[in-house]
Amino acid sequence: MSGLFDTLSVIILLTSFVLVANKRIKSYIKTFRIQSAFIALAAGIMGIQSITSEGRIDVLVVCFVIVVLKVIYIPKLLNRTYSGVEYKVEKDFILNIPILVLICCGLVVFTHFCIASIDGISQGYNDLQIINSVSVVMIGLFFMISRKKAIGQIIGFLVLENGIFITAMFATDGMPFIVDMGIFIDMLTAVMIMGIMVYQISDKFDTINIDKLNKLKG
Amino acid sequence: MGFLLLVIPLISVLLFFLVKKRLFLHVISLTASGLMMMIALPLAGDVIAKGTVEYAHYGGFFYLDSLSIIVLDIVLLIGFFAAIYSVQYLEVDVRRGKLDFGKVRLYYILMQLFLFTMILALTVKNMGIMWIAIEATTLASVFLVGFHNDRYALEAAWKYVIICSVGIAVAMLGIIFLHLSSIGVLESRELLQWTALMENAGRLNDSTARLAFIFILVGFGTKAGLAPMHTWLPDAHSQAPAPISALLSGVLLNSAMYGIIRMAAVVNKSLGSSIYTGRLLMAMGMLSIVIAAVFILTQKDYKRLLAYSSIEHMGIIAVAIGFFTPLSLFGGLLHMINHSLTKSMLFLCSGSLLQKFETKQIPRIKGVLKMLPFSGTAFLFGLFAIAGMPPFSVFASELGILMSVFNEGSYIIGAVLAILFVIVFAGIATAMFRIFYGSNENKDLEPGEENIPGTLIIMTLLVIIGITGLWMPDPIIELIHQAQSIISGV
Amino acid sequence: MSYIIYIIIQILTIVLTAPLVNGIIKKAKALSQKRTGPPVFQMYYDLYKLIRKGTVVSDVSSWIYKAAPYVVFSTALAAALLVPVSTLVTPANSIPGDFILMVSVFALGRFFMMAAGLDTGSTFGGMGSSREAMISSLAEPSILVCLFTAGLISGSTSLDRMMTFMQGTGTPLTHPATVLLFLALLSIIMMETARIPVDDPATHLELTMVHEAMLLEYSGRHLALMEYGAAIKQLVFMTLLVNLLVPHDQIIGFAGAGAVVLSLLIYLLKVILLAVLIALVEINTVKFRLFSIPNLAALSFILSFLAFLQYFLMGGGHVWFV
Repeated sequence: MSGLFDTLSVIILLTSFVLVANKRIKSYIKTFRIQSAFIALAAGIMGIQSITSEGRIDVLVVCFVIVVLKVIYIPKLLNRTYSGVEYKVEKDFILNIPILVLICCGLVVFTHFCIASIDGISQGYNDLQIINSVSVVMIGLFFMISRKKAIGQIIGFLVLENGIFITAMFATDGMPFIVDMGIFIDMLTAVMIMGIMVYQISDKFDTINIDKLNKLKG
Repeated sequence: MGFLLLVIPLISVLLFFLVKKRLFLHVISLTASGLMMMIALPLAGDVIAKGTVEYAHYGGFFYLDSLSIIVLDIVLLIGFFAAIYSVQYLEVDVRRGKLDFGKVRLYYILMQLFLFTMILALTVKNMGIMWIAIEATTLASVFLVGFHNDRYALEAAWKYVIICSVGIAVAMLGIIFLHLSSIGVLESRELLQWTALMENAGRLNDSTARLAFIFILVGFGTKAGLAPMHTWLPDAHSQAPAPISALLSGVLLNSAMYGIIRMAAVVNKSLGSSIYTGRLLMAMGMLSIVIAAVFILTQKDYKRLLAYSSIEHMGIIAVAIGFFTPLSLFGGLLHMINHSLTKSMLFLCSGSLLQKFETKQIPRIKGVLKMLPFSGTAFLFGLFAIAGMPPFSVFASELGILMSVFNEGSYIIGAVLAILFVIVFAGIATAMFRIFYGSNENKDLEPGEENIPGTLIIMTLLVIIGITGLWMPDPIIELIHQAQSIISGV
Repeated sequence: MSYIIYIIIQILTIVLTAPLVNGIIKKAKALSQKRTGPPVFQMYYDLYKLIRKGTVVSDVSSWIYKAAPYVVFSTALAAALLVPVSTLVTPANSIPGDFILMVSVFALGRFFMMAAGLDTGSTFGGMGSSREAMISSLAEPSILVCLFTAGLISGSTSLDRMMTFMQGTGTPLTHPATVLLFLALLSIIMMETARIPVDDPATHLELTMVHEAMLLEYSGRHLALMEYGAAIKQLVFMTLLVNLLVPHDQIIGFAGAGAVVLSLLIYLLKVILLAVLIALVEINTVKFRLFSIPNLAALSFILSFLAFLQYFLMGGGHVWFV
């Protein structure tokens, strides 16, 4: 069973690479959706495991909430926000995509060295899962800083939260239930707020390129 | 009774939706804040007498000890003052046609929600719920920062929400690692509870606890305005409306610092010495002070200058906490109180300045003392206070912290700190003092205060910081001593 | 099994199955577009027709033009010998040659194809050759890292030893490293065999052709040999993927001639399924812009590298397939 979780953690890491290699906004949202689906799968398996062994239902509820929120509702919300914006493909990048993908690879190696130097972080076997999950966090952060459009930052933030969530899940077998729920509510509200702000920015600035927001300096 | 603190803001939010006239909005806001402040004092008395205030409902969810009550009382006090100030501040803007009923209602709803989330962060002992509340403070205040809805405000609000959300997410990673370090040590119903963590601190996994501390320091440090994660702070605090800036600078930064202090207490007890956390905290603190000093020297916007001053003072508090001696902890906690009171007063004065002169640029303002006799004078004295001049309170706490540094024998750090204090004072002086003198050429502006209740609040605060510079009431000193011993883990 | 029997069975299987794969893919694509499409055995008829036709050779071309089809075909066959279709027929000592040899042999064939494209002096050929050079230089690191990882996992570079090892481990696909290897090999197949999204095998527009451009000048039996060589190369890669990562020989409990036949039949089934999978990928994607192909190549390299990293993170093979 742990092997299955290993594989799932690798697939989730893979989806974050696919995210970095993408250029179209619709693809960002679709990749995020697929990643959340895999996370929900992992949560579901863990939930079934915990029900049959301990009778705790909270992990299954969490899985259900992930499906409703991250697989269905938030992508729909983002798609609706972006239907009004004309820019569908990102054209200018600071570095080209293959280099970005290679940098993400470097981030995975870096995470490996950081976590391997901590003894006793886990029982030794789910080292792999923790490294993959923390790498997803790093890649989400990297994605945020490598894109110039506002949607890039929102999706990067969501991937960051995804990574943190699976770190919690794999490392600790589920955080306390109320903390999980709180995380979801916070994240949902944050995304809604960001969506509203993108609309207002597009209204006032006539563009959603973040590097145009540079008036406040010093 | 402590539960009332959580319930009152929520009820007032509901009531805001029901009323139709602006007058009622102001009344509800003032009543709510007033009630909350009135609860603050008996609660403080309880804590001094019994040590902690805990209710057993919901599994020991509500928890107050001396550290929380200090920060909490500041929240409630400044919340009350800001509410009083907001009344006339909003009315002036309504009269000028910039706001309408809907906007005023939005302002009050968000302000009450903001206060609710901060109170929640300070009254729980589960670090996970504390994290949720601190994240919620960001979300509640985004639209307050972008309230004026022009390009600058939008830019500030976007930076605020992105940087702080990322920071808080990083803090979540820290909380996960904290949880990891306590697996096998704590029972499942006490997971992530601060009291249980302190009791069992010796048995926590060392290296995971260190990792957890770094993440939480970076995460909550983003919210507290420590460099190098401070970049959102000047924009957000300068673009928000003045009472909100007062709340952000005076209260929110403290709440984030509170989170860091709780974490540092656990990790220090677990590792057995404060060297690890101390080094990190002092490095970030010194960096914040240096960056703030440099940027203050060249500021042209007075609200941004006040924001950088907040960064500097948060850096001072971080250095004090990093040092972790009883005297420095006392100084740091005292500094939290003093800085909040002084900075709120300054931001409220800046609001009066903005409403009178309608510009944030220093070169364009002249003759403040003539135009705004009371708030102008208060502003002048406040600037002296924040720069560390006696007999005001900030001087006392800065002196205390410097003394504790020199007592330990760290002469170099002490000297650097002293030099930085002087630089900041020079910066504030050269930047600001020219706006007070001379006379304003603009004939349309008439001298006189527009915001009478607000000015009264400002004068009250001025008197408080003047008196507390020389004498602090004994209960407060007692509270700070208790808090300091809680942090040291004895 | 002795060498001779192995060589005979291997070459017969690969040579007979190669054109079938192309037919299946074309049929699957046609069915998805609600057309009937060409019959599955169409490529056999095409090759037979081409062999009987005469060839037209440009008189500005050199010996490379005439030699290239033979080189391409023979290198493809030689590489095919290194990748066993069924481990039940491999000789007792293992095959003298490993995957590094396989990659190099294919590289030889590719070099001749590129040179032949340049040889006639036509612009289409030169263009195809330069594009092929770019794509293959991006794909090579990916293949090598991928196969090195598989070799590290199984402790040998000889392909039949690798396949035997994988059979001993149950279902490799539930392991993180092998899932990544599967995806990496799939994307390598896309790049090496000129399928969408890298290159469109059905087009003759200069904007989009790569492999076809190099074949443009050929006719008659030369063209038949080039096409056959490409089809064999495609089948070899597919064999690599299915036999390495979805091994089937361990479920055959008995031995003897009947077991060999059963093994070959199951192999055929796997190849057909993989062909349908490739067709599905082709149906659902569009051809990338030429300058977006490095993105795909980078992703493929990352897949291989991540597979290596996952293997490494698992402690270098101690804890394996629990």
